[in-house]
This record gives sequence, C-alpha cells and structure tokens, in this order.
Amino acid sequence: MLDNDSIAFLQSGVSISLASCSPGGMPVMSRCLGCKIIDGGRQIAVFIKPSQAAELLDAIRCTGRVANVFSLPSTNRTLQLKGIDARVTPFDPADLAVVEAHVADFIAEVVPLGLPEAVVRTVFSLVPEDLATVIYTPSAAFSQTPGPKAGEALGAAR
Amino acid sequence: MSLRIDAIRECLEGIIPGQIATCDPAGMPNLAFLTQAQFIDNAHLALSYQFFNRTRQNVLAGSAIRLLVTSHLTGAQYRLTLQYLRTETAGPLFEQMKAKLAGIAAHTGMSGVFQLLGADIYRILAIQQLPGPVLAPPPPPVNHLIALRRAVQRLAGCATLECLLDTALDCLGAEFGIDHAMLLMHDEARSRLYTLASRGYPHSGVGSEIPLGEGVIGICARERTPIRIGFMNSEYAYGRTVRERIAADGPSDALETAIPLPGLPEAASQMAVPIVALGRLLGVLYVESVADLHFGYDDEDALVAFAAHLGLAILHHQQAEEQPDDEPAPAAEAGAPALAGPPLRVRHFAANDSVFLDDDYLIKGVAGAILWVLLSDFVARQRTSFTNKGLRVDPRIRLPGVSDNLEARLVLLQRRLDERDAGIRLAKTGRGRFCLTVTRPLELAEG
Repeated sequence: MLDNDSIAFLQSGVSISLASCSPGGMPVMSRCLGCKIIDGGRQIAVFIKPSQAAELLDAIRCTGRVANVFSLPSTNRTLQLKGIDARVTPFDPADLAVVEAHVADFIAEVVPLGLPEAVVRTVFSLVPEDLATVIYTPSAAFSQTPGPKAGEALGAAR
Repeated sequence: MSLRIDAIRECLEGIIPGQIATCDPAGMPNLAFLTQAQFIDNAHLALSYQFFNRTRQNVLAGSAIRLLVTSHLTGAQYRLTLQYLRTETAGPLFEQMKAKLAGIAAHTGMSGVFQLLGADIYRILAIQQLPGPVLAPPPPPVNHLIALRRAVQRLAGCATLECLLDTALDCLGAEFGIDHAMLLMHDEARSRLYTLASRGYPHSGVGSEIPLGEGVIGICARERTPIRIGFMNSEYAYGRTVRERIAADGPSDALETAIPLPGLPEAASQMAVPIVALGRLLGVLYVESVADLHFGYDDEDALVAFAAHLGLAILHHQQAEEQPDDEPAPAAEAGAPALAGPPLRVRHFAANDSVFLDDDYLIKGVAGAILWVLLSDFVARQRTSFTNKGLRVDPRIRLPGVSDNLEARLVLLQRRLDERDAGIRLAKTGRGRFCLTVTRPLELAEG
C-alpha cells in the first residue's frame, strides 16, 4: 500500500495526528510525536502522550479503529492512513531516538515558516515516562493534499 | 462551560492549523486539517466549507465533531466538542470568511483551489484544555480598551466634522498603533465610497472612489460587516479590482481613476470596518499593514466599537451643520482680497458635474455641482459667504436628499481645493457657514 516515497514522507518533518472514535460515536484525536515504519510499511507505530490522550487510547482499546494524518506544513502535502486493528502498547525506550529525531525535524520544518520555536518546543515537550505506542496495519490510504484530488485513495488497497 | 472561546480565540486564526475529527455511521474515524475557523460568539463558531469531503459527509450524516486547536502564543492545546447547526452561503459571515479564505489561499498557493462554498455554523458544546506545559502569553502590543477609551475621549472634544475626521485618523496611529489608514464616506445615490481622509501614504487620495461591493472596502460597505484578511491576495486588492471594473465599463467614466487610490501596494493585512449610525451606512474605516496577520480579533473589536462611536459623532455634526448659528457671518461680502495673477480657467460639465481647473480634473458629482454654484455666485455678484442650509435648498445643486452627507461633501471639496492650491479655497466661518476665498481672476466655462 505504501510506496517508498510515501514511507519517506511519513518520516520527514511532518505534523502527525491520530484519531479514533469511541463506541458511543465520539471522535477524539491527539498529536503524535513521531512514527516508526515496521516491516517495510506493513505496520505503522506512532507515539502518543497518554497524559493528553486518555480518551483517545481508551477508544483505540475499545474499537481498534484509527485515522492517522501526516502533513508537511511547507507544502501542504497530506496523507491519511486508516487502520482497524490498532492496539496500544507500552513505549519502548529504544524508540526515544525516533521521537527526538522527529521533534527536531518538525521544528526545522516549521520555524522557518514563522512559528516561534519556544511555542513548538512547548507543544512537543515530553518525558519518556509519558509516552505510549499505538501500532496498526494501514488498511487504506488517502491523499488529503488540498485540491481536486483530495480524498482519493492511494493505489489499490490490498 | 468554564473555559470560554473568547479567551482563546487566537487559536482560531490558524497560525498553528487546527484539526477536525469526525466518524462515519460505521464508527470509522476521519481526521482533517481546518482551513479556516471563525469566532462568532461564546457559544458558536464557523468553519469554512470548500469541498464535499469525508469530513463534510460525516458531519451531514450526524457525526459528533471534535476540534483540536493550539495557541501560537502559549502552546496550549484545546479540544472542542461541536454540534453542526447550519450552513450559510451568503451574507456578512459568509463574506467575512470568503475574504479571509482568499488570503489563506494566496498564502498557501491554493488560489483557485480554495473557494468558499459555505460557512458551516457549529454550537460549541465543550472546551477542554489538554494537560501539559504552556508558555506565558507575550504582552499584547496594544491595550485595546485603553486605546478605545482615549480615542473616543478625543473624538468627544471635536466641534466640527473636519476635526472629527482628522482626530479619528490621528487616534488610529497614536492610540491603536496603526500607521496606514483611510476614511471613506458613502455616496448612497451613486453606490460609491469616496476617500475623505487618509494617513500614511505619499498622496492623500482624497476624492478617489471605490464602488460598493469591490474589494475589501466595498464588500465591507455592501455587507455592513468588518472584513479582515491576514495575507496578501489579488482577489481582494481593492485598487486592482476597481481598475479592472472600470476598464470593463469602458472609458465613459474614466474620471473615476483620475484621482489614484491611496494604499500600500504590498499590503498583506487588511481590515475594513463599516461606519454605521442609526441603521445607515455612513462610510468605512480601512487600515492595512505590510505584515502578515497584523490585525487580530481584538483589533477588529476595538475598531468596530470605535467606528460605532465615530458614526454617531459624524451624524451629530452633520445634523448640527444644517442648523447654522444665528449670528451673521463675519465680514460678509466686503473686504474680499484683490484678484491677481493669471486667470484661472474653470470648466464645468453638467452631465456629471465634473469641474476642471486649467484643464486638470478637480472634482465631480455633488461636490462639483456645489463648487460650480459657489464660483458662479462669486463671479456674478462677488458672493463669498454661504451656508449649508442655503446649499441644501439651492435648485442648481440637486442634492440626492436629506440623507446626503452635505458636510462631508464640503470637507471633500475643501481638501481637493487645498491640495490643488490654484487660488480657490473654502473655510468654515461658523456652524453651518463657510466662506469662499478666490485670489486669481476666474474664467468660467460651461461644457
């Protein structure tokens, strides 16, 4: 489903957010602090602050359904992945380097666009004890780059 | 609701883009970035609708709605729970959002892609601040309440419309820190706005005109609603749209461009605020800056309140000038200065009441008709003293009606004459009274 170009895009200085929906139909989302490509893109792991995402993590535990958006602020290129088998796992401290690299890449992306670095660093401040990992198999991918093709599925779903 | 949206509405400016989460009837979530959000009041906000995308399908199917917005000042994140109410496709809110979207589209390279199809209005059900560190917000560049208090106090000290106009524009600079501003008055009969005063431009542009409905200023006037744009864009560049419209109309009304509009060619932030009093549109206050996102919600609120006060004061002065002082004007027809220098040729075209001084265009319309009457009376019987009341009943002038702002026309005429400096001047001599001073011999020609 994900070609090399898309996989590289997911790991660039993109803004990453994850949404789910409670069994009662209430959508909820949170920012992510980076992502990790597993098994050549067969699975995706994203990192979340549970202190800000208790409702989201509960919804994922109940439904397994996620919508995961990646957007590069400088180009508006946006990709949305969906999954139905998401699960919440403890954060592996070995992934801290992935998180730190992502935050650095994102700051390098948005500070030249005029966002104050102190504000961005505040939004992405973290302690390793307050991190969780959500892993899912992307089952659908959509381009959401604004324009006539927004919402189109990427390639054929497998 | 303990947290109010008006306390965090900077989050809606989109400097850090907001996100919207919905779910389809089967419970599959969807997440998208917000293009534009608009504060309405503490219970409502609006989101722009540009495409019939998954978000909109879910909203119309009855999905609950969540937003995640972030303050670019503090880094605080807020999760809002919304309920969709309705979509507006015309009117003040729609035009506010359409104009703002044009700026956003130009800024993000999406001109031609982002077209507002509707303003979706939502009820705010809950606002929750996410846990986490936040920064102290930076002090605002202006304390708008103090600026407003000082500005309206200064307006209250004005005894004439002229003083009011000058003070209003001075206050924008001195109290609100706005360096580029124009005040335009509404010509109801001609559906135009004419510039009466400006600050911060190489040329005053007094007398220049904008059709109702054109650009930021014209749309503000037509909809009687503030229009605020944060990024440069060609769609609302009022100078350009006005020139194009006039070019399309053909050369017949070429005089409309004879006086160039003032304005910053590189304006990024623009805001126009209507001046309305007793249900009538009197004019528009327009401010601009070369900086992106220079004007925020607080600037808009402050200028709307200032313009409301200014509108009532303009109306008051206009009515007062229709009731001249009982005292006769000093030094009536006697003591006029001797005429000297080469003769000044004054040509009047009755079709549009345009007046040319030595073949250079000066003014047209009601102000042109007034000048022609004043000069005709001066040449015929050396008359130099006039009253607003007298002009109002003079059959040669054909004022559009009592709603016409005669005093503003006189200020316009006075300023055009001062700028031309050709030997004709007007000066107030009392309430509702003014005198004409001519220092060169005149040659009047009709047509």
